[in-house]
Amino acid sequence: MKNLTSIGLISMLATSAFAHSKMETTTPENGATIADVPSMITFSFTDDIRLTKVNMIHQDAPSVMLDLGEQTHFDRAFALPLQSMGEGTYRIEWRGLGADGHAMQGEFTFTVD
Amino acid sequence: MPDIWEIGTIVSKLMLYVGIGGSTGLVIIRATFSDLVSPLGDGMRVHAALLAGLALVASVLGFMLQGAALTGEAAGMTDPEMLGLLWQTSVGDVFVFRFIATMLIIIGAFMPQLGQWIALVGGILGLWSFTQIGHVPGLEATGARLLLLLHLLCFAFWVGVLGPLRALSRQTEHLGNAAELGHRFGQAASVIVPLLILAGLLMAWMLLGDMWALTTTGYGQTLLFKLALVGAVLALATANKLRFVPAMQAGDSKAARRLVRSIEIETVVILMVLATTAALTSVLTPPN
Repeated sequence: MKNLTSIGLISMLATSAFAHSKMETTTPENGATIADVPSMITFSFTDDIRLTKVNMIHQDAPSVMLDLGEQTHFDRAFALPLQSMGEGTYRIEWRGLGADGHAMQGEFTFTVD
Repeated sequence: MPDIWEIGTIVSKLMLYVGIGGSTGLVIIRATFSDLVSPLGDGMRVHAALLAGLALVASVLGFMLQGAALTGEAAGMTDPEMLGLLWQTSVGDVFVFRFIATMLIIIGAFMPQLGQWIALVGGILGLWSFTQIGHVPGLEATGARLLLLLHLLCFAFWVGVLGPLRALSRQTEHLGNAAELGHRFGQAASVIVPLLILAGLLMAWMLLGDMWALTTTGYGQTLLFKLALVGAVLALATANKLRFVPAMQAGDSKAARRLVRSIEIETVVILMVLATTAALTSVLTPPN
């Protein structure tokens, strides 16, 4: 019984399909290396979601919460202004509520070099 | 990996399934086999009310955890903006349905005569609430919602008998009642269990899209694990129906003790099935 439970838990936790993160595209693309810090970042999703929190983490600097502005409604595409922190790796973490009632979350990274 | 809020959501979902499924099941079994379960007295009503109370706590906890999941912080559990957002969506609607459902079960459990019908309405409302939000309702097909309701009603009937059957089987003086309850439940289960499985497989087919998704996606693999557990429960239930219950009908008290043990193991495996279902419905995305 213990072995069966372990196999099940490992199977569930090892999967990469967690958290309803049906993000379709981002700008910059996940993993991209670009020359200049973009003034805006964009997200698009396969279904309507309502963004609730977006954080930017640059290198080892403390996390900065991005202003959602007027974008506090259900939609499939969002564009947020980004504060330049210079060269380095930027990680964008987002959270939101899916139209199906599920809390969603995800992240993407890009490097300015 | 799911974060702490998603793990909390899985736990609260498990509590909700146990609470609503268990309380509704007890109400259905009490209404269906009232002559056989009468020796249990008020115990079934108290247990139904306690399980409904568990479902109520799970509903509140789940709602607050959703708020935390939206912000990634514990403060989200009481954040008026996040809870207000949830309240305005189908999450809020379902919370209201579950609050009313659990209150009806609790009130019904302590009312004579009419009470069991009030509790039954509450139980069905609680099960129906699951057809209003989630992956299967997301398919936007009326047939899918009805399949889910049928699946849940059959599940409630099955789990509802476990407690009373175990309690009667533990008392030698009620061996006859236990044997008859096991026998009559077994007859009903020969229709209800295939319906439960068929409805579950049809919904799985709708959510998966194709059979390959069973092995190539996390959702499919977790579903396969659930099916393996369901297979184990079916094996135990078959042993109960074909071996222990007939032996109890012949007056074998040892068979009653074996049935009690079998029901206890069955309950543990059903809890694992429910925990797997909670993961499927909370943090995994269906391929289709």
